[in-house]
Amino acid sequence: MSDTAHAGTDGGHDHSPTGWRRWAYSTNHKDIGTLYLAIAVIAAVVGGAMSAMIRLELTQPGIQFIEDFQFYNMLVTAHGFVMVFFVVMPALIGGFGNWFVPLMIGTPDMAFPRMNNVSFWLLAAALVLLVASTFIAGGVGTGWTVYPPLSNADFHPGMAVDFGILSLHLAGASSILGAINLITTILNMRAPGMTLHRMPLFVWAMLITAFLLLMAIPVLAGALTMLLTDRNFGTAFFSPEGGGDPIFWQHLFWFFGHPEVYIMVIPAFGVISHIISTFSKKPIFGYLGMAYAMSAIGFVGFIVWAHHMYTVGFNVETRSYFVIATMVIAVPTGVKIFSWLATMWGGSIDFKTPMLYAMGFIFLFVAGGVTGITLANAGVDQAFHDTYFVVAHFHYVLSVATVFAIYGGIYYWLGKMSGRQYSEVQGRWQFWITFIGVNVLFFPQHFLGMAGMPRRIPDYPDAYAGWNMVSSIGGLITMLGAFMFLWILYRTLTAGAPAEDNPWGEGATTLEWTVPSPAPFHTHEVLPDTSDLQAAE
Amino acid sequence: MASDTTKTHPWHLVEPSPWPILAAVSAAVMAVGLIVFMHEDSPWLLILGLVLVMGVFTGWLRDVVAEAQGGIFHSELVQKGLRLGFVLFIVSEVMFFFAFFWAYFHSSLPILNNVAGTWPNGDLEAIGAGGIPMLNTLILLSSSVTVTIAHHAIIENDRPKAVRWTGITVLLGVIFLGFQIFEYAELILHSFTISDGIYPSTFYMATGFHGFHVLVGTIFLFVCFMRLRAGHFKAEQHVGFEAAAWYWHFVDVVWVFLYINVYFWGATGFLHLPAS
Amino acid sequence: MNRCRWMLTSLLFISAWLAASAGALAAGPKPWQMNFQEAATPVMEDIISFHNLLLVIEILIVLFVLGLMLVIIIKFNSKANPVPSKTTHNTLLEVVWTVVPIAILMVIAVPSMKLLFFMDKAKNPEMTLKITGHQWFWTYQYPDNGDFEFDSNIVDEEDLPKGGKRLLEVDERVVLPVNTEIRLLMTSDDVIHNWAVPSFGVKMDTVPGRTNESWIKVTKTGTFYGQCSELCGVNHGFMPIRVDVVTKAEFAKWAAAAKVKYAGIQTPPKTAASATAKAIKVAQAAARMPGAHVLKR
Ligand code: HEA
Ligand code: HEA
Ligand code: CUA
Ligand SMILES: [Cu+2]
Repeated sequence: MSDTAHAGTDGGHDHSPTGWRRWAYSTNHKDIGTLYLAIAVIAAVVGGAMSAMIRLELTQPGIQFIEDFQFYNMLVTAHGFVMVFFVVMPALIGGFGNWFVPLMIGTPDMAFPRMNNVSFWLLAAALVLLVASTFIAGGVGTGWTVYPPLSNADFHPGMAVDFGILSLHLAGASSILGAINLITTILNMRAPGMTLHRMPLFVWAMLITAFLLLMAIPVLAGALTMLLTDRNFGTAFFSPEGGGDPIFWQHLFWFFGHPEVYIMVIPAFGVISHIISTFSKKPIFGYLGMAYAMSAIGFVGFIVWAHHMYTVGFNVETRSYFVIATMVIAVPTGVKIFSWLATMWGGSIDFKTPMLYAMGFIFLFVAGGVTGITLANAGVDQAFHDTYFVVAHFHYVLSVATVFAIYGGIYYWLGKMSGRQYSEVQGRWQFWITFIGVNVLFFPQHFLGMAGMPRRIPDYPDAYAGWNMVSSIGGLITMLGAFMFLWILYRTLTAGAPAEDNPWGEGATTLEWTVPSPAPFHTHEVLPDTSDLQAAE
Repeated sequence: MASDTTKTHPWHLVEPSPWPILAAVSAAVMAVGLIVFMHEDSPWLLILGLVLVMGVFTGWLRDVVAEAQGGIFHSELVQKGLRLGFVLFIVSEVMFFFAFFWAYFHSSLPILNNVAGTWPNGDLEAIGAGGIPMLNTLILLSSSVTVTIAHHAIIENDRPKAVRWTGITVLLGVIFLGFQIFEYAELILHSFTISDGIYPSTFYMATGFHGFHVLVGTIFLFVCFMRLRAGHFKAEQHVGFEAAAWYWHFVDVVWVFLYINVYFWGATGFLHLPAS
Repeated sequence: MNRCRWMLTSLLFISAWLAASAGALAAGPKPWQMNFQEAATPVMEDIISFHNLLLVIEILIVLFVLGLMLVIIIKFNSKANPVPSKTTHNTLLEVVWTVVPIAILMVIAVPSMKLLFFMDKAKNPEMTLKITGHQWFWTYQYPDNGDFEFDSNIVDEEDLPKGGKRLLEVDERVVLPVNTEIRLLMTSDDVIHNWAVPSFGVKMDTVPGRTNESWIKVTKTGTFYGQCSELCGVNHGFMPIRVDVVTKAEFAKWAAAAKVKYAGIQTPPKTAASATAKAIKVAQAAARMPGAHVLKR
């Protein structure tokens, strides 16, 4: 960098920047990872509060406290956006990815440290715009899918949708830059001896996720740009009056949106693989199969998008293609599930909190995955589309499975990141409360969906009262678990016992456990020799 | 962070930098400025945002250029990373254009949209492939050649030649843009505007974003032109120039696609199969 | 051994569940309902029976995974098994858990395709019903029965008749003949809506600029309810569907009366029509302005 910048930091090898500049100007992958985790926690509080309001409104039939239905629609929309773009993605990709990809591949930092920081700050700016959109002109009341014509200027004339669009543009730019950074780091900067087939599975997961981001997000950006010009400059991409087609938006959105769901779950797969292997004290079973199963999921994920559009009026041949293509994904996913089970089989398992979350992940992800298979069949989807059955499906894979991976990952790596270890007793309590909570919350939604309750409605026919009440009680329990998690986080950071370099023992074999806890500001400045790592095959 | 004498690895650990956070703030100002411009017809915040973004970008790139000098930070492996990163960026750009091409095909091919309609929409006439578009194709194709000549000149350490051919490439870019502005002006004069339905929407969006990329590529090459004159590039150290050249080729390929699909097929009616 | 027992229990559980809900009579959701609404068309019957197959397969998969996890918890905890094995490969196993899911999916795919092609379009439609979605009501048109049309609005809570279902009752109901193959043509005037009646197994987007086609052949007389199933703005939750299915003779009588009843509404003096249309449009625009008061509740 420029000479003046050098002057202040010539002090010594371990000199690290201090004060607010350390965070605002950071070029350190661990600090940036921490920033990402912090923004994820803040956004989780926001998104969680929104879901609390949704569940409160739905506790009983009739209007509880939301009189303005635009407000309800806005809540649902913002809840979806916040959870997807500002909680799950930042926590798993920005947070864990930044922290542990360089540590695991034995390199001192990310490929483009400054760009890494701009990814984070663009995300923060995007969050500001999104929050702003909720206060302006009634907010974005379109659902997170933003389907026109409802999202066009005739039906959402205010600035809110434009704020939403530009928020997603910024978040998208952040993701694309982050993806470039991850791929370059992983392909170019592995320590000597670490071939692709010796890479830890979390790194594989991040590599595949980054490719999905790189290919999917720009298509969303293009779609958002067209929506913006439709709204403001009179183009006709999505309006039939000018020869355009509202269905075209849905193609673009889901061409991004379906890969997006794997963008959220593949990093979770990576985290789970490490936890399972560590606590079973066994290397992962079928390593290569695991890596290529994720690649296959990522690839097939690009050619199944229209399973979200079975009711738009496609001809039957189109639908039958998408049925088959979608169901194919169950095969590589099954490979992963069974390989995890085989890893545990014959293991010597310690049921520490991260392991509880990992096992919860496997069980409940399968439960959410098989309802995905139900939905994949266009015939029955005609009964389930846009009902609470879909809401149940995607919360099982997202709010249950993926969030379990985040919780589990935090418990697993908190000692490494902060130098302090959480209390095992508290962790287990928090797991069981959350486990019970999410099931009471989301399982009854299957029944509501079967009985026909549509999603995105602020009030429902009285017959749906029972299970909605149960669901809201489950929501309460889940919130309790979330609050307890925040408390444990706080207690650990302020008063936790010092963490050992490797608190988990022989099962924890990846490179992050060879550096001190907390991981010092700079790690792997002398590149580790990994050529004695076992090759995969 | 490690000072240069104690460096034990080939990587470049960048100093803390104010640019990223400033860039994000400027981008947010620009975004809000755009919204205000669209809803309140007041361009000032947008202009402020643009100026800020350009300022930050310049400052940032200055640092990068400074780091590239002297052969300390940009080791061979770091250069490899920079190249890889730039290729990935181009991949993301390809997917961005993918969306606009999809828009074009979706609205012009009944087989994709399942709706019988006419193409172009309304009583508009398709824009032909001759004249300016053809000229511009030739210009852009030859500029791909000239930039390659310049690249080879750098590899041969023939600076004057590199300067000359880069300059020619920049000129060709400017000429292309000039023609495109002229074409747009003529079309608008014949009241063919972006708000006249789906055909002009796809036409202006695709060619417009392409034109914007030509502008960026031209500026990028112009920066390389100045840097060449300042003696920044050597046979073994010219990632910046390579990136600009690759970007230019990408812009060229997009144009060829545009020309074939939007101008040529679009005008010959080749695409307009009757709806089933 | 173990697996056999799970299969049995789960099958028992499912059949008990299905039996419990089979006694339902009138259509529409029931309190604490855990299953589909009663089927009234062949399509919905097929959806239900195909879903029963899916449900059994899926529950078995989940229970299989759960069972393996229970074995793992019991046999491979660090107390019971202090020394972990080092196996990381077993080609046969890996082949099996790739091939068996493929086989299962093929078992699913065949009936899935049959259902899909069956439900697609009416083979010999005897009449047509045209449905148009609006913010936030439906318009129905009977082109084969005198080409009359009418709007169908939600009944406000205050005006509910005794025993009426809140949020499901409408002022003007769709009346259709039983055992008749009916083609449904759908479109929209503004945003995307979705005409869905669970008992019929129908759910189809109404898209502006397009006409979508679906079909029903209702085999039971009675009252059937549905709701708009695509987010369409502020009152998306408040544009229900009510279909009264009657005998063919009753339908003929109703249609004859309806032709007269709705004729006046259909052809008002031209200027007045456009004036009211304009007034409605303005009111709607006001209503969808964010923050504005909702139209009806
Ligand atoms: C993390 C996120 C995530 C994940 C992983 C998935 C995974 C899957 N999803 Fe889901 N989905 C969403 C998030 C996700 N989904 C969201 C957010 C929506 C709603 C969006 C909206 O409308 O707002 C949605 C909606 C959605 C729909 C549209 C429903 C509708 O709107 O009508 C469909 C339809 O096909 C679908 C299918 C699937 C399938 C087949 C999988 C598969 O990948 C699942 C594969 C896994 C398994 C099958 C289990 C493990 C496998 C075995 C144990 C092997 C043996 C199994 C068999 C042989 C079956 N999903
Ligand atoms: C990851 C995504 C995610 C998550 C976690 C959640 C969590 C929850 N969601 Fe939902 N939800 C969506 C994604 C998610 N959701 C989407 C995409 C939609 C569709 C929107 C649309 O229709 O447009 C939706 C819609 C939706 C609906 C349907 C509304 C409607 O259709 O009318 C409901 C109703 O009950 C609901 C409820 C809840 C509840 C009670 C939780 C509770 O589980 C919340 C409790 C949890 C917390 C308070 C925090 C959880 C912790 C973390 C996330 C990790 C913390 C981070 C770190 C430690 C770094 N959500
Ligand atoms: Cu009409 Cu929802
Ligand atoms: Cu999907």
